[in-house]
Amino acid sequence: MPTVTIDPTGEVIHLDPNETILAGLYKAGYAYLIGCRRGGCAICKVDALDGEFDYERPVADTVITDTERTDGTCLSCRAVPSTDITIRLRGETLRLVNPFLASINAKARERAEAYAAAQHEKNNLSTTTKEM
Amino acid sequence: MGVMRMGYAHVRVTDMAEAKDHYANTLGLYETLSQDGRVYYKGWDEWDHHSVVLEEGGVGLVKFGFKVEKAEDIDDIEKKAQTFGVTVERMSQGENPEVSDGIRFTTPSDHVFEVYHGQTLIGTEVGSHNPEAFPRHLVGVGVPGLDHALITCDDANLMTKFLQDVFGYFVTEKVATSLDEDADTIASWMTNNNQIHQLAVLSGPQGKLHHFAFKLGDWSEVGRAADLFSMDDVPIDVGPTRHGITRGQTVYFFDPAGNRNEVFAGGYAAYPDRPTVVWTPDQLGKGIFYHARELNDRFTSVLT
Repeated sequence: MPTVTIDPTGEVIHLDPNETILAGLYKAGYAYLIGCRRGGCAICKVDALDGEFDYERPVADTVITDTERTDGTCLSCRAVPSTDITIRLRGETLRLVNPFLASINAKARERAEAYAAAQHEKNNLSTTTKEM
Repeated sequence: MGVMRMGYAHVRVTDMAEAKDHYANTLGLYETLSQDGRVYYKGWDEWDHHSVVLEEGGVGLVKFGFKVEKAEDIDDIEKKAQTFGVTVERMSQGENPEVSDGIRFTTPSDHVFEVYHGQTLIGTEVGSHNPEAFPRHLVGVGVPGLDHALITCDDANLMTKFLQDVFGYFVTEKVATSLDEDADTIASWMTNNNQIHQLAVLSGPQGKLHHFAFKLGDWSEVGRAADLFSMDDVPIDVGPTRHGITRGQTVYFFDPAGNRNEVFAGGYAAYPDRPTVVWTPDQLGKGIFYHARELNDRFTSVLT
């Protein structure tokens, strides 16, 4: 379950599996400048500072150039993170428009983290058992 | 009479299956042909073979087709385009399925225009003998036909002049840098008949599509279209609202590739002797979105 961290303001948003960054942020109650939401207009580009993502649907060359495919440019409406990711918006700050969704998202993230920690603990235990 | 109307808009889409769902099931266009990776559509009240062509791969405009009344009109437009300094090529019948011979050129705005005089006649969905008012089983919005488009270019003055000289268009409304006689044109809305605009040009990057629009009857149909867009999760850019410019009622929305579409109703009757309406940049927000009275973040920046 990847998270998106916003640089430099530090919001951390939990994404569901296979969710795009744009869909995840809006589902968590946040807003920023977006256009068509469908990979055509390029207005929702952000910079990925850390982490990996994939475009799981075709993106036109006119929207993302060859250079932009390797320089950290991230078309947020089509980008699905495969790891935790840190992004920086271009020339604006993330706006919280629905705080109720943000708190639901925060709880979902806590649950996911608790679950991951429990899994980690279990794996460690079983490794220890094997060693014995 | 020369150019009669914008006959077709040919656009690229990233995913044909999704695009077909949008244009057929949400907008309610009728598919008339699927061939060589392209899908052709018409609205229920259009009689020619197609008004929309979809092509898979990329986004944005491939070209527009403009239909003239007579074959001789082609020669006339060819000469005028050449006089303007544009290179014109001849296209033969069948280069576009079900479309006559004609000409093709790249405009000063870097858009490809085709001019043709014939398309295979299919007939409207209500026919022309004692017709009913509309087809009973329309799908989705059930748009009757293509209406107009807005394109961007770096010199709106030049493109306006081109359309005046070559297509015989006149300017119904424009946005100018000031009310002075010698003010620069920022945008213009043009036609050559009573339709308030067939094509509009807006200052911006060369060769880009702002939107292409389908006609609707009135406010209630525009509102119903917006309801259907919500039902089908179509991203709405703006509306339902009114444009100050043209007085038309509108919803801007996006197709699944991100091309902007519009449904447009109303607009007053245009006449060449009616004084051109002029808007100044300080009132542009009201001109575009009459109720919000300010441009949204996307109006000048989101193009395909």
